[in-house]
Amino acid sequence: MNTLRLYIRSMGMLLRSHLQYTSSFIMQTIAQLVMEGGEMMAVILIVDRFQSLKRWTGGNLYFFFGMMAVSFYFTELFGRGITGDFPSMVRSGRLDTFLVRPRGVLTQVMCAGADPRRISCIAVGIVALIIGSDLSGIVWSPLKVLVLIEAIVMSCLLILGLFMIEAIFSIFSVKSVELVNAITYGGRSACQYPIDVFPLALRMLFTVVAPFALTLHVPASWILGKPLYGWPWWSAIVTPFSGVMVFGFMSVLFHLALRHYRSTGS
Amino acid sequence: MSYIEVRNLKKNFVVKKKREKGKLLREKETVKALKDLSFSVDEGELVGYIGPNGAGKSTTVKILSGILTPDDGEVSVGGIVPWKERKRHVKNIGVVFGQRSQLWWDVPIIDSFKLLKDIYRIPDKAYEERLGELILALDLEDFIRTPLRLLSLGQRMRAELCGSLLHRPGLLFLDEPTIGLDAVSKLALRDFLKWENKEYGTTIMLTTHDMEDIAALCSRVMVLGHGQKLFDGKLPDLLERFDTVRNVSVKYADGDPCLKLPEGVMTKKTEDGLELSYEPAKLPTAQLLSILQDAGNIRELTLQPENTDHLIAAMYKELDL
Repeated sequence: MNTLRLYIRSMGMLLRSHLQYTSSFIMQTIAQLVMEGGEMMAVILIVDRFQSLKRWTGGNLYFFFGMMAVSFYFTELFGRGITGDFPSMVRSGRLDTFLVRPRGVLTQVMCAGADPRRISCIAVGIVALIIGSDLSGIVWSPLKVLVLIEAIVMSCLLILGLFMIEAIFSIFSVKSVELVNAITYGGRSACQYPIDVFPLALRMLFTVVAPFALTLHVPASWILGKPLYGWPWWSAIVTPFSGVMVFGFMSVLFHLALRHYRSTGS
Repeated sequence: MSYIEVRNLKKNFVVKKKREKGKLLREKETVKALKDLSFSVDEGELVGYIGPNGAGKSTTVKILSGILTPDDGEVSVGGIVPWKERKRHVKNIGVVFGQRSQLWWDVPIIDSFKLLKDIYRIPDKAYEERLGELILALDLEDFIRTPLRLLSLGQRMRAELCGSLLHRPGLLFLDEPTIGLDAVSKLALRDFLKWENKEYGTTIMLTTHDMEDIAALCSRVMVLGHGQKLFDGKLPDLLERFDTVRNVSVKYADGDPCLKLPEGVMTKKTEDGLELSYEPAKLPTAQLLSILQDAGNIRELTLQPENTDHLIAAMYKELDL
């Protein structure tokens, strides 16, 4: 409980820090809106041109896009410390200051980074979800709402876990940005479309290595009433937990790596 | 057992060299940052830790504060092994890095303190009490609602000290705390550290390049070089060991008399009188002074304070650092 309070207070402080530079905050938030709006335009164009993609209707596509946008940008909003700032924390020695405080390092890294500008991207995602739900004619039930929330939370944990690969490499002062970006940002770009439109190799990548298919596509397909690969309904509840497994595994590796932390300068 | 016990501490860093031409892989080189370092510190001691750049000072402090894991050796601080029980250990220590801020850059420093209160789980009453005391002692009142980035270096260092002492640590590490400070700020900082040490018996270990810090604060000084301890004792003893030549300038009221000085004393006439340099080891200062006094009517006499920077430079040279 105390940790949660600490996190909320830190977020408040970071928001105030951002608001110290009001105009640049507003401009960047608008820039984010334009960028994410552009991503959505791509989907709108596809729907406009082809009406459907394999067995997925236009409405379905908006729904997938919305789920990915909400998951990814929530992660960036609340987990910026891991998704973006960590390598520079290592380089600048800021990690040292976390290590001399009686709190978990991961907690402090999370508390040290938030990116409120992502709020505009999340808004785009929510709009897409609503349009997608409406066009697909989803009949919402309490279970479906729960599965939707579970899928988003688990996808967030998965994305955090994937970004932690970069964090772990940076502890050993190895730059791995390009490699890791391929499955994080690359994963976002690819997996905002239904997974079964992709060739087998990509499907394997996003099922076994970075299991977006399990945290996002399986439950989303079930909610849309078109189960992926015809899997039974309970798979929509079970498979997303791969997200928390990836996160847990990466956390363990992260703490092992910290023992080899070398610090910098004096 | 002492409060801090360090025994046979070793730490190596592997550094990759620049790739040589014609070789596929970069060669690795092991740098021995600490080789077999042992010392102990008692509770309430104020210890100065000096040595040239790269001697291993920061590495020692980082191991003692739980940031780094050593390769070999034993460390115990109040019965805790820092890197094994990091969270329990750091609850009772404060660390100030001279060149690295621990407070939040864009918010008023009071907000940073409030967050530190949550991080260290300090009860409300204890926090208010301690904060009030530190605001007074460090004179923070004027800028407590100013964001850190707008503070001067001296103000920032005071704020950093406050932040690292809010939870009343029993042990405080200071890594070059006076670096870049003006004279007034330095003096204020030293006064505060003396007060904190006396009032609460806080054990303080500071690394510095400023010998004045050591002279003003530390009852004990440790010299580190090439990852080894070279001296451990009182500052006067250290100075005596390397203080070979000293200067005295003297001005007589009625012209320079003829001085009968023992061998080894160099005399130089200047516009302001005489300047003598002597070796205290061969000719005690008191004896020299009585010779000077007997020779005539002294108007002015200055014993040049030992220039500690020169001394330390001489010491580093003699110890081949």
